[in-house]
Amino acid sequence: MGTPTAEKAAEEQIHGVPLVQGGLDFTGVTDTVCSVCERPGATKGWYISFAIASTGALTLFAMIIYLFWTGVGVWGVNQPVGWGFAIVNFVFWVGIGHAGTLISAILFLFRQRWRTGINRFAEAMTIFAVICAGVFPGIHVGRVWFAWWMFPLPYQQLVWPQFRSPLLWDVFAVSTYFTVSLLFWYMGMIPDLATIRDRATSTIRRLLYGLFALGWRGSNRQWHRYERAYLLLAALATPLVLSVHSVVSFDFAVAQVPGWHTTILPPYFVAGAIFSGFAMVLFLAVPARQIYGLKNLITLQHLENMNKIILATGMMVGYAYSTEFFVAWYSGNPYEQFTFMNRAFGPYWWAYWTMATCNVIIPQVFWIRAARRSIPVMLTVAFFVNVGMWFERFVIVVTSLSRDFIPSSWGFYWPTWVDILTLLGSFGLFFTLFLLFLRFLPMIAMAEVKNVMPQAHAGHHGGHRKEQV
Amino acid sequence: MSPVSGRGGEKEYWRTLEELAKSPEYEELLRREFPEGADLPPQHFSRRRFLQLMGASVALAGFSGCRWPKEEIVPYAHRPEGAVPGASRRFATTFEMGHRSTGLLVTSYDGRPIKAEGNPAHPVSAGTTDLYAQASVLGLYDPDRSRAPYRREGNGGAIVTWERFEEEARHIVTESAANGGAGLALLTGRSSSPSLGAMKARLLRAFPQARWYEYEPISWDSRREGTRIAFGAPYEVYADYGDARVILSLDNDLFGDDPAALRNAREIMARRDPDSREMNRLYVVESVFTTTGTVADHRLALKGSDIALFAGALMARLVAHHGVRPPDGFRSPEEGVVPERFVAAVASDLAQNRGRSVITAGANQGAAVHALVCDLNEALGNVGQTVRYIADDDPDRPSHAEAIGKLAVDMRAGKVDTLVLLGTNPVYDAPARIDFVSAMKKVRRAIHLGVYRDETAHRSNWHLPCAHYLESWGDARAADGTYCTVQPLIEPLYGGRTPAELIALLLGDETRTGYEIARRTMRESLDTGIDFEKFWRRALHEGIVPGTARPFAEPAVKRSAVAEAFGRLPKASAPFEVILHADQTVYDGRFANNSWLQEIPSHMTKLTWDNAANIGVATAKKLGVATGDLVRVTHGGGEITLPVFVTPGQAAGTAAIPLGYGRTAAGHVGSGVGVNAAAIRPADLSLILAGAKMEKVRGRKKLATTQAQYLIDNIGMQGRARRTAALVREGEFEAYRRDPAGALHGSHHPPLVNLWKELSTSGHAWGMATDLGKCTGCNACLAACQAENNIPVVGPDEVARGRGMHWIRIDRYFSGDVEDPDVTNQPLTCQQCENAPCEGVCPVGATQHSEEGLNDMVYNRCIGTRYCSNNCPYKVRRFNFFNNQKDLKEIEKMVYNPEVSPRPRGVMEKCSYCVQRIQNGKIAARNEGRPLADGEITPACAQVCPTGAITFGDLTDKASRVSKKHALHRAYYLLEELNIRPRNAFLARIRNTNPALTKEKESHGDTHG
Repeated sequence: MGTPTAEKAAEEQIHGVPLVQGGLDFTGVTDTVCSVCERPGATKGWYISFAIASTGALTLFAMIIYLFWTGVGVWGVNQPVGWGFAIVNFVFWVGIGHAGTLISAILFLFRQRWRTGINRFAEAMTIFAVICAGVFPGIHVGRVWFAWWMFPLPYQQLVWPQFRSPLLWDVFAVSTYFTVSLLFWYMGMIPDLATIRDRATSTIRRLLYGLFALGWRGSNRQWHRYERAYLLLAALATPLVLSVHSVVSFDFAVAQVPGWHTTILPPYFVAGAIFSGFAMVLFLAVPARQIYGLKNLITLQHLENMNKIILATGMMVGYAYSTEFFVAWYSGNPYEQFTFMNRAFGPYWWAYWTMATCNVIIPQVFWIRAARRSIPVMLTVAFFVNVGMWFERFVIVVTSLSRDFIPSSWGFYWPTWVDILTLLGSFGLFFTLFLLFLRFLPMIAMAEVKNVMPQAHAGHHGGHRKEQV
Repeated sequence: MSPVSGRGGEKEYWRTLEELAKSPEYEELLRREFPEGADLPPQHFSRRRFLQLMGASVALAGFSGCRWPKEEIVPYAHRPEGAVPGASRRFATTFEMGHRSTGLLVTSYDGRPIKAEGNPAHPVSAGTTDLYAQASVLGLYDPDRSRAPYRREGNGGAIVTWERFEEEARHIVTESAANGGAGLALLTGRSSSPSLGAMKARLLRAFPQARWYEYEPISWDSRREGTRIAFGAPYEVYADYGDARVILSLDNDLFGDDPAALRNAREIMARRDPDSREMNRLYVVESVFTTTGTVADHRLALKGSDIALFAGALMARLVAHHGVRPPDGFRSPEEGVVPERFVAAVASDLAQNRGRSVITAGANQGAAVHALVCDLNEALGNVGQTVRYIADDDPDRPSHAEAIGKLAVDMRAGKVDTLVLLGTNPVYDAPARIDFVSAMKKVRRAIHLGVYRDETAHRSNWHLPCAHYLESWGDARAADGTYCTVQPLIEPLYGGRTPAELIALLLGDETRTGYEIARRTMRESLDTGIDFEKFWRRALHEGIVPGTARPFAEPAVKRSAVAEAFGRLPKASAPFEVILHADQTVYDGRFANNSWLQEIPSHMTKLTWDNAANIGVATAKKLGVATGDLVRVTHGGGEITLPVFVTPGQAAGTAAIPLGYGRTAAGHVGSGVGVNAAAIRPADLSLILAGAKMEKVRGRKKLATTQAQYLIDNIGMQGRARRTAALVREGEFEAYRRDPAGALHGSHHPPLVNLWKELSTSGHAWGMATDLGKCTGCNACLAACQAENNIPVVGPDEVARGRGMHWIRIDRYFSGDVEDPDVTNQPLTCQQCENAPCEGVCPVGATQHSEEGLNDMVYNRCIGTRYCSNNCPYKVRRFNFFNNQKDLKEIEKMVYNPEVSPRPRGVMEKCSYCVQRIQNGKIAARNEGRPLADGEITPACAQVCPTGAITFGDLTDKASRVSKKHALHRAYYLLEELNIRPRNAFLARIRNTNPALTKEKESHGDTHG
């Protein structure tokens, strides 16, 4: 493996299996991907899914209107539990939104070329998850009509937001992350949009895709600039992967509530975010590759790799859970000690053990290779990981607040129907956006995939490669 | 500036074409709109003319505040010459409620009363009030109040005018004049009003056949009857706790239901200051956990009917061991019912403090117990020292039980033709056994005067709106007999009249306004001197007439009669009994429609908006019930079904049920709240229902409590037990006196280093000190805070959600044995931390630190992230989850304090140390060019507190009372280890326990965080 060609070739395989299978050539890749968004009518399955998802999204909007009309009291929040489902959902969705940038940027920088099959997918998921996340901080405040005071805008009151508040850091962190992710996603899509434009048969399609393709011609110069810019954006986005969820965790870590006020939270949150993000990518990619016949592009190898990451990050999360207990005991702080005992054995024990089971125990099946490569197993695990990660945020936010320092102010939180419908509605919004993406945009980065195919390299010979391995 | 005159060189602006054209019509319009000179400053006025005009406007402004121009109201204000518009004024009046009257100074803002404070001159209140007086102001603006006379005919009825009733009254006068008042019966509540008494005398003189009945559902008649047994005539008991070293309360809630509760609180707590002098020792033997029980040094939970046996055992012990001569024929009760050790300890303590002790019994207890208590006080030499008697002013009055029973019998017998009900509601609160409703059907003409169209009004032919006390002229007597005045602060909102005015109408009296009646009564009953006007004005100004307290009497105890009465008591109690008691908040039901009181949590259960059968832990286990489970309680043919509430410290074998709930026609707030226990009450109005049955039935009810119930999960219990001793610190008096610095556990934590720059305080550093030893949990501070700060009411569902809005939370901690626990109350509000955790986390900076150290809440800036509340370790911030003002009617908004803005939906609020009062105090001092004096600024909670548990002041002034309290060894800061540096210090509670009794109690509070 001494020559550059040989290295390159090795990158294009996972354990000796090529990244693109089924003997697809460039045209085959293009046809496979483009046919999905070029089909005149969507499939029946898509329509049914879209009907369900958009009903969910409309429910979310209805709940938000009801909330705005009536007040935050329509939720279950109270004193002492000032934050409930809204913040749980926010952290959950931001967490989901981590996989996209991680796959796009960090794996890109580390030259993990297997990412090309799934990165568009994951990035789209990121954008939609961050949109879902972004809904909640805005609507959870008591006076939504003044929520814009959180932005540092010069206006007649001449009052600035308070920069010491982690909520303000959140505003910056999430909005930056969203902007960079959106740019990254969009930029990566430009060559593919141009491909669809070029294949377009109707004027409308040509105009619309042409508009968003920004005049891409695929010249050498354009490719040169494009790859530079992509690299730079990847470098910009990389620290964001770590920073967003670290900042989100500051909402808790900076406060002095027992169970929140710990230094472990930033790495713990980042690991959890990657964990849940990958689970969500899996959860979306598996049906999509099945339905749209993308098995040659998103191969079992891809899925197995993601399962390995889920196993690794799941264990990090499990380690964080046990460290929290250790630190609570070791610190000698009675409030901290109580909080963790209360999490595990107090009135919300079921939430804690749901979290521990889903996040720590269930992913352990991925030690078995067959499980990593079994579609039903990985779908089940991905589902439970997402449930578990939602409960992790519930445990952190709600149980910590429900019993803090002074026992007389302890209370209980239970959600209202509005809370539950809002949560379900946020999934509706997410899937609505995602289904629209599947329908109208190239769900696989064709240009990138072609780049990792043997055909992309001069002097490729099938037999020759085999010898080299 | 003239509005249109363009000046040379300036740009000319115009508004209409007419203006531009300067048409004559327009000029004319302009002249009418802006008369010449009105918009000019008075340039050509002489100084003299200016002063004349200003003087006149000030005087006229004052006049506009008067409601009844032909009658003069004398203000108790700094500037009797006239009021400054927009500045509040205070007027003295008296709030009467059943057996007690409270002297008030009511703050009036632009002609509307908004806040009651205690009248410092009043012998009972002395500047403080209870929660009822605080909340009574809200009652004035209740939109459910009766607004007009109502005539019921058949199934229908109609609103009528007062003239229509006056016509009816003339018929009654004619009829009564003809037959001497035969068939005329009047029923009133208990009132100490001399005017009403005088009117009663006039009526009975004019119509000798008329019958006058007095009925009160909660009364001290048993004590009255007890003194009748002991002395042969009824007396009122006046206990002087200022000199008492040892106090034994037998089922008497000294700080709650006692007629002199405020004076008791003041006098007893003045002697419970472990830093200055000796402490008194308070023993409480009771079945229901009362506020008195929570502050007792030793409390014994005992069944209500066994308390008589305790009194007997105490007498026996005093006879056997302390040389007391037994009354003739006294038989000591059997041993073994009451704990001998407790009796022995109390007896020896009492015997060692002869003449310096007080024994008192509660309204629950029967006459025989009260009689024995009279004898015990006599035997211990307390009479004339700490216990005195005042002759009853109406010795021939039948007891309330007799009165209501006799009236019902008379009605059934058809002897009552016209029944006049003055401010009473017997249809609701009379025992069901009396069946007042069916008796009323026999009455041809029932006339009800009431503030509300209540249950009784619905069954009367006539309903007449009664004036609220804040709309009335009248008078009252304090517990010691001092003559008090009642003056209106506002013209009757709905044309209501007072009971005295109605009687005047029924008498055909020429003097028929309350004003004239009150003046006439005063002239007739007091030596007013030559200048009556001056006397009257002075009395109105002061609110009382000094020197009118009734003289003390020294009646001799008929010991054999006492022994005989006591001997007639049953020797053993039934295995189970129900104890009825006046509710701490809605009292006997008269405040059921007062939303403030409905939402104020009961001091022990923290239950709001409901009543429940309170049972002890052992009783609950025996019945197999938990809090919220429904039970059926039966007694004497009546039955009620209500939820239970497991309350530690409720005597085993008893259930306590508050009266005052289950109203059906109270109004929008109070109707349908809770269950009416009058259904099981015996006709003799006794409150201890021996032999009542209680059984579990299917079903549960969700109860709206403001604090987690006692029986929570194990983890929670352990967590709470581990930190309670650090949160509420306690110590023993002997140890504290020997070594104040070492007697109390402090919290152990590393040195607290400030991460931030020390905040500089400019001028003042406001701070507070709260003495845990003095807090009885009476809830007056909650009510005062609510009135002062416009705190909204949210209703039972929201309270159950944990969204109550009270800025003060009185935390109640149990310790020790679950059946007989010790309780400590801890009023908790914003601690105004110097390193406030709430301030740093607000993204918009809506909560800021003031230069005087206050943690200010900027309502206008708040967007409602609730992060501050999450980060507040005391959880004293309150969030407006909904628009809590939305459903208020205009009339209800009249109670708002204009100096405190009501908070809109989505905004956080919290205690501000009454920043409006701080500002007012500072402005007053600055205007007078002098420094602020210590004690000049008092927050509402500190002002109302009957025991003086709360001290407020400036911490930069080392001589201030609050600074001195902060410097005490027993001062500590809650959650000090978080380095948030609260400005409120708590003073550890010091118990003056009897060494003979402490050994048996396990020591508690050794562990702390």
